[in-house]
Amino acid sequence: MTEALTTDVALEVRDLSRTFGVRKALNKVDFDLPDGAFLSVFGPNGAGKTTLIKVLTTVTAPSKGTAKVCGLDVVQDAVGLREKIGLISHNPLLYPDLSAEENLQFFAEMYGISEAQDRVRELLVSVELDHRRMDLVRTFSRGMLQRLSIARALLHRPEVLFLDEPYSGLDPHAMDILDGLIAQIRSEHTFVMISHDLDKGLELCSHALILAKGKVVLFDAKENIEAEEFKATYRSTVGMGVA
Amino acid sequence: MELRTKEMITSMGLYSLLTMVVYQIALSQSGSSFDPRQIAAGLLWLAFLFTSMLGLNRSLVHEQDQGCLEALLLAPVDRPVIFFAKAIGNLVFLLIVEALTIPVFAFLFLQGGGYGGSFWMIPLVLTAGSIGIAGVGTLLATMSVNTKGKDFVLTVLMVPLMYPLLLAAVSATTAAVLGGDGSVEQFWAGMGGIAGYDAIMLLAAYALYEFVIGA
Repeated sequence: MTEALTTDVALEVRDLSRTFGVRKALNKVDFDLPDGAFLSVFGPNGAGKTTLIKVLTTVTAPSKGTAKVCGLDVVQDAVGLREKIGLISHNPLLYPDLSAEENLQFFAEMYGISEAQDRVRELLVSVELDHRRMDLVRTFSRGMLQRLSIARALLHRPEVLFLDEPYSGLDPHAMDILDGLIAQIRSEHTFVMISHDLDKGLELCSHALILAKGKVVLFDAKENIEAEEFKATYRSTVGMGVA
Repeated sequence: MELRTKEMITSMGLYSLLTMVVYQIALSQSGSSFDPRQIAAGLLWLAFLFTSMLGLNRSLVHEQDQGCLEALLLAPVDRPVIFFAKAIGNLVFLLIVEALTIPVFAFLFLQGGGYGGSFWMIPLVLTAGSIGIAGVGTLLATMSVNTKGKDFVLTVLMVPLMYPLLLAAVSATTAAVLGGDGSVEQFWAGMGGIAGYDAIMLLAAYALYEFVIGA
């Protein structure tokens, strides 16, 4: 499915480093990701996965190196790039004291979306929260928050979606719903997902990347990856068992 | 959101009014020869400074909760736009609290000698001084929001940086309260100091905000 879409480069990362004091959270990270691909990023806590997402989404500036998303530099073209990306995190990134509809309206205004009312309604229907649109977000369950978070991330029709441990804290039912939503939009976007779950990450991805101590240990297309060998590499490199 | 929760306005307003009452108690035994108007401006600005810190510490609470600050940073707007939006919000809250506090202040401290200056002076100096507090305070609150003991960090950073502004604001406000010969000149000298501080610090905050929020 992904092969048909892989014509251009969605992510171009060159010698990317990010330091916090003396600690190198990212150390000369280098890879290209084709347009339409689904990249799963694995690594232990502190490997630099979240820092990589923060740099690629322009939230944090890199210390050295360059990164381009959809051909736009994360430093030079940051404002334009933000129109092309969306982030779904384990944090819902929603205001708890606003209703579902008010949250989406607020972010629609931030993105300058025309006909925001219609777009908000359309997304609330697609994530099956239209019946709760007037309810305060603080009354929502974890699964509902994550569905609304997906609606927020899709408001401006981004080309690349970043998912930072999106399954974290979800019950099996909510995970099934999230799987369904991702499957619905899979063909329309490039995905970059951080995951601690090797099986889930490998099942969804077209490309996989292992980070350890800020460095790329392995990056390859899924067709070149043998699952057991990949898991063994992950275990041996990071010294941790597979969850 | 603040209209719904009223957390900031309520806490800031109550704090400011209670500070006035505490001042009154502290000065109640000072004797009839003491004119409280001599120190009233200093007391007023101290109350506003500490009240602003209370509000500034809460100004990013909504964004901190559930990672909304990150969502704002993902929006396709320049970071200084977020700074000015937050600073203007903080300024509005501070001005509302000041408007509530001034009548109480006048009742408690200006009854004896009355108000000596022109009435336009007080709103002018309060607005100018509050712009500096809100601008610098918003930058410092952003710096301290992810630190351990953020309340303490904000106080330690803010009080020294506010020193020049407070000096100028107290001088101008004292001139407005007391009136008399030379008070207009003293008022405008103080206003000049406030304007210079506001311009320099707002430009610095504008330039630094991108770095501070992305650090």
